Amino acid sequence: MRRRVLELLGVLMMIMAVTVLLRLAPIPVAGQAQRAQGQAGAAPAAPTPWGEPDLQGIWTTDYEIPLQRPARYADQEFFTDEERAELDRERARIIGSDQRRSERGSEQDVGGAYSAAIFLSHKHMGRRTSLIVDPPDGRVPPLTPEAQQRRDAIREYQLALLQATDVCSNNLPACAGGQYGPPSPRMAEPPPYYPATAAAAGGAFNRSDGPEDRGLGERCMSARLPDFGGAAGYFLRIVQSPGTVSIFYDTGQGQGWQRVIPVTDRPHLPSHVRQWWGDPRGRWEGNTLVVDTTNFSPKTDYQGSRENLHLVERWTRLDAETIEYVATMEDPTTWTSPWTVAVELSQQSNEANRFYTEPRCHEGNYGLPGLLAGERAMERAFAEGRGPDPATRCTAGCGGFAAGFADSGAETNPVQR
Amino acid sequence: MRNRFRGSTISLALAAAAVSAVIAVSMTRIAGQAARPARTADGKPNFSGIWQALNEAHWDLEAHAARPGMVTQPGPYPFSFAEVPAAPVLALGAAGGVPGSIGVVDGDGTIPYTPEAAATKQENAANWIDRDPELKCYLPGIPRAMYMPYPFQIVQGTNKIQMAYAFTSTARTIHLDDVEGPPDDTFMGHSVGRWEGDTLVVDVTDFNGKNWFDRAGNFHSEALHLVERFTPISADAIHYEVTIEDPNVFTRPWQISMPLYRRLEPNMQLMEYRCIEFVEEFLYGHVRKEQLVKRWEGETIIVDITRKVPPGNAFYDWYRK
Repeated sequence: MRRRVLELLGVLMMIMAVTVLLRLAPIPVAGQAQRAQGQAGAAPAAPTPWGEPDLQGIWTTDYEIPLQRPARYADQEFFTDEERAELDRERARIIGSDQRRSERGSEQDVGGAYSAAIFLSHKHMGRRTSLIVDPPDGRVPPLTPEAQQRRDAIREYQLALLQATDVCSNNLPACAGGQYGPPSPRMAEPPPYYPATAAAAGGAFNRSDGPEDRGLGERCMSARLPDFGGAAGYFLRIVQSPGTVSIFYDTGQGQGWQRVIPVTDRPHLPSHVRQWWGDPRGRWEGNTLVVDTTNFSPKTDYQGSRENLHLVERWTRLDAETIEYVATMEDPTTWTSPWTVAVELSQQSNEANRFYTEPRCHEGNYGLPGLLAGERAMERAFAEGRGPDPATRCTAGCGGFAAGFADSGAETNPVQR
Repeated sequence: MRNRFRGSTISLALAAAAVSAVIAVSMTRIAGQAARPARTADGKPNFSGIWQALNEAHWDLEAHAARPGMVTQPGPYPFSFAEVPAAPVLALGAAGGVPGSIGVVDGDGTIPYTPEAAATKQENAANWIDRDPELKCYLPGIPRAMYMPYPFQIVQGTNKIQMAYAFTSTARTIHLDDVEGPPDDTFMGHSVGRWEGDTLVVDVTDFNGKNWFDRAGNFHSEALHLVERFTPISADAIHYEVTIEDPNVFTRPWQISMPLYRRLEPNMQLMEYRCIEFVEEFLYGHVRKEQLVKRWEGETIIVDITRKVPPGNAFYDWYRK
């Protein structure tokens, strides 16, 4: 009993500490490395007792860095300290604003309520203007014509499902490219491609015929590779033995998963065997763990790449406190050239053990059946003349504040303007 | 309790002696597979690798005869030993049966439930499909994850031992060093390990009481406390035993034990079993717009299944208790 009380106090103190952290006070940036140099003054890391580079520990990213370089910083690889402080202030202002709820109406408010609280980084801005280090413009390379065709087909279907809703009647940004009209007959069609992303990644369809329609986030299956932390942040626990590297991803706000990387020269699985997290093969190149992953499932999607993604990751322990993580994404059916992301991971306290191995998203997922049951109730009410046509309601891909910041106007994410 | 466990203690001592001899000389090497030293760099038994239990404990920890179906119903004769498979598994034929088992419970082979808990266990068994968390792909908990019919991988690090389970891609970390416990109760428990000679002893606490031990309805509460012991039998087999304590459910501590076997395939690797997706129809099928399961057609067997969910066992109701 006493222990429970003490634990509760501990949790409360944690919450308070986090709350303080969220206030985004300007922080000193001198002393932070330019790029991938490790932390100034940190001791070198000892190898494992069996002589391999030691990647073990709990790791996370300390700073907010956009995946792609914002257009207004096109010629700039690094933010200045002043720019970082200003971006922190601007983000804090928007996050702290409580003016916007009444303006946007119930549908847009409810649509963004959960996301605004959770899927939003409260970290300070980092120095780099993009996680992408190659190509040098810091942008994802252009899509191939076939990938653009896939994206267009998805967008066309999304718009068809939105066309009878307020999103289109009010001409909101989520309806861009579409127009208001009667309920589309396409509502009865399945989507042209498997809904392989979380709603926040732009792949949401305004349809709730069954669980598949709701996207991988609501289905508790949004964890995917590559993972750079994203808007909700992540923690990694790495444990090694000779010939094997284990990484547990505490990611996606409770959608964690276990990855085991065999360090071996064995070939990949037969090409017809596909997995959500692919088939990894590791090898040591000097101090770097190189992981080659293929055999991805067509049910996953990263920036438009599905089963043909070829992911090559390089994990290097720079010093006791830092891992440099560099990932190259290649898919000639999706991008016109490969591209590379670099992330610095910093060591977290082993003793504090702030790591959650339990996804328990699915275990408590009352939301998904509740939402589907709600849709069925709405359909019955409409059939009996007691309610609006469900096709005129938006429950996914409605835009607004769905990712924490607005999708237009003065409250968009300043990091992505 | 000491008496009850004496048999296994003696056999374990013999096993340990044999292992010491084996470990002293063995260096297992299989074509195509890297050298697998019997000891780690710091001299401990090397448990790294992919393992799996090879028994029927996942069906029922206790000894039992084979049954014709995972779910049965009275047949044409009024004898309890002559039941036939019931609708949910009827179409599976012989693949839907339950293999017999000598059981894994040490001592007299029975689980010492309190009278009240024994009644709950019977209800659990009668409502298996509605209540078993495994069917919903929930985190399996410990010790159940250790003997489910899926492989798991041990990654023996320097101050942590990671156990990665194929089932629902879950894991647990065994802490060999001093760390803070979890901020809330857990499905998989909080595991703290230490070495006693060549035996890895793991103390597991902080459970949330939502797991079962098997598909027979054997269960525990949030007061569950486990002491697991991993002792090498050879380079490719581990003697695994667990002392189970839960004063809310059992009248005394009891113990299960079994071997765990190394998966010796030279190209063995842990494959995904991401079952969340597999159970969506089971969990959410009834709230689809167009329900998929109605009847079977043509030459295919037509099975109209009416499975009435008893009061208190509706979707999530039982689990939420």
